[in-house]
Amino acid sequence: MESGLSSLLSVSIDFETSHLVFPTIIHWILAVLFAIILVTKVIPFLAAVKRGERTLPIVGESMDGFRFFGTLALIIAYFYLMAVVGNMFPYTGYGFLFVSMPFVFLMALMYLHEWTKKAVVIVLINAIIAPSLVWFVLAKLFRITLP
Amino acid sequence: MMEFVSLLDVTFFLLAGFGALVGIIFGAIPGMTATMAVAVCLPLTYALGLNNGLALLLGLYVGGISGGMVPAVLLNIPGTPSSITTTFDGYPMAQKGEGEKALRVCVVASVIGGLISAAVLFLFAPMLADFSIKFSYVEKFLIILLALSVIASLSSNMLVGIFSGVIGIWLSLVGVYSISDGGNGKTRLMADFMEPYLYEGFSLLPVLIGIFGISTILLEAEKGVKSELTSDRLKLGKGGVFAFSIFKGRFTNLVRSSFIGTFVGMLPGVGGSAASVLAYTQEKNLSRDSSEMGKGAPQGLMASESANNALTGGALIPLLSLGIPGDSTTAVLIGAFTLQGIQVGPLFIPENANTWYIMMTALVFANIVMFFLMFFAIKHIAKVVMVPKHILYPLITMMCVVGAYAINYGIMFDVWTLLIFGVLGYLIQKIGLEVAPLIIGFILGGQAEIYFVKSLESFGTLSIFFTKSPIAVVLWLLILASVVFSIVMSLKSRAKGRQDVLS
Repeated sequence: MESGLSSLLSVSIDFETSHLVFPTIIHWILAVLFAIILVTKVIPFLAAVKRGERTLPIVGESMDGFRFFGTLALIIAYFYLMAVVGNMFPYTGYGFLFVSMPFVFLMALMYLHEWTKKAVVIVLINAIIAPSLVWFVLAKLFRITLP
Repeated sequence: MMEFVSLLDVTFFLLAGFGALVGIIFGAIPGMTATMAVAVCLPLTYALGLNNGLALLLGLYVGGISGGMVPAVLLNIPGTPSSITTTFDGYPMAQKGEGEKALRVCVVASVIGGLISAAVLFLFAPMLADFSIKFSYVEKFLIILLALSVIASLSSNMLVGIFSGVIGIWLSLVGVYSISDGGNGKTRLMADFMEPYLYEGFSLLPVLIGIFGISTILLEAEKGVKSELTSDRLKLGKGGVFAFSIFKGRFTNLVRSSFIGTFVGMLPGVGGSAASVLAYTQEKNLSRDSSEMGKGAPQGLMASESANNALTGGALIPLLSLGIPGDSTTAVLIGAFTLQGIQVGPLFIPENANTWYIMMTALVFANIVMFFLMFFAIKHIAKVVMVPKHILYPLITMMCVVGAYAINYGIMFDVWTLLIFGVLGYLIQKIGLEVAPLIIGFILGGQAEIYFVKSLESFGTLSIFFTKSPIAVVLWLLILASVVFSIVMSLKSRAKGRQDVLS
């Protein structure tokens, strides 16, 4: 009996495939946990949604679609353009500097609820000064790599 | 032992103080946390040396945890999750016109909590490191398993907590099974076209900055970035003069709460509000004059804030002695330390005695700076609560980019990692998964794999995890205890919920 148990527990790992041992175990654990959660949480939750007691996350909630998707779009454009402009002026950090300014300006305008003249001027000044300051301190003084 | 003193200079103390100030400001702005403060200021540390970098980071950490008291007292909004119980008594006091007095009570309690936990850290971390130095792969794997089970058992739902943690581990496995760690140098969990980007897997810091920085901004954007705060709500009040005599007879409370905070801070992945809530309820249960708590009693503030700040020292204990982060802020710190060439773990303290003393100096000094800054300049600091979010968020996004891009000296994919994990962090919080276990799983997953596979390769049997040493058995018992604890707690809360429905 003793030897039966120890042979059951013994494992030998082939070095060639040792990179897959742990991920395989993790996949199984994930699958089992997901199945349990599906049965105990998700199905009751969906049933409650059907009865109208709960709402689905994200799709069923009210959200500020303009600001949310605007943020995503701005960030994607920001990251993309930063690399493009940065490649035009390599090792200067200008990509970061020149793309950050409009990004900070546009994002602040998007989040600003009342566009008074004073508020927009503050946003504009901030959008020019803040990236310049960060660029100067990090890229020039500290010599940190920027796009 | 005293030779480390020669390594300290004026810059060191200035940076620790600067860090504390910036941390306080971040903590004081609702929605910004100590984690974000550390993440945003990371690029600054790239250029600093080891000692100065540590000074800045620890200053940010202490300041960030402390700053949360300001909006908690003045606006009834916890600036960081851990100051939630400060609102219970702080806001009523502020409404009575005793805002300044309340804040000063908080400041004194905070510095006491911070210093007590620093003392515990100083005594306890080397002991734990000494003890764990003899651990083989088997025990190390079990320690990680214990850390993950503790996090999961303290999540609001254990199943979801474990699931989140395992997702974190899965994410950490993407990339190569590194030869330098004894692997075979093959990649897994990805398609061929991803190999140029993901050969080394996702970098830790962009992942953390994305999850804590970008996803917070997405969550706020979805809510429309409202700033309904107007400056007339911000009243400090002159009523009720602060005097140290208010602490008379509160010694037990302060010490008890500090130790609760330190202990909770040690538990991996808990952090946040658990410490202050526990300290607050203990004071309420044990104190004879607790009837005023919740209506503006200073003793509630003392319990909450001393526990809250004691988290700092506590969370650093497992970080420095075992390499396991105690909360999300120390998770970012672990990345920052790695960047400075520090490998935290059992060998860290014995092999880097000077660095260890320097860290302690920075920690204690940051607490003292925090005290003086907040005690005497609280009126001015209180104003930062009003900084509009439409100015802040673009700047935070910008700093996140700098932090991610510069970590590996200019890799654009790290910036995209920010976005990937920003969106992922947003989604997991939306569908109800837990961020803390996921992050800890991500940080520890890679090591867990190595320890697990190596144990099996050298012993060839699964039974080794139970029979290797008495310590292994003790660790299994602790794992079992944390699971049982969690089940009992959930049964209790379910029974209580049923009672509430019936009554």
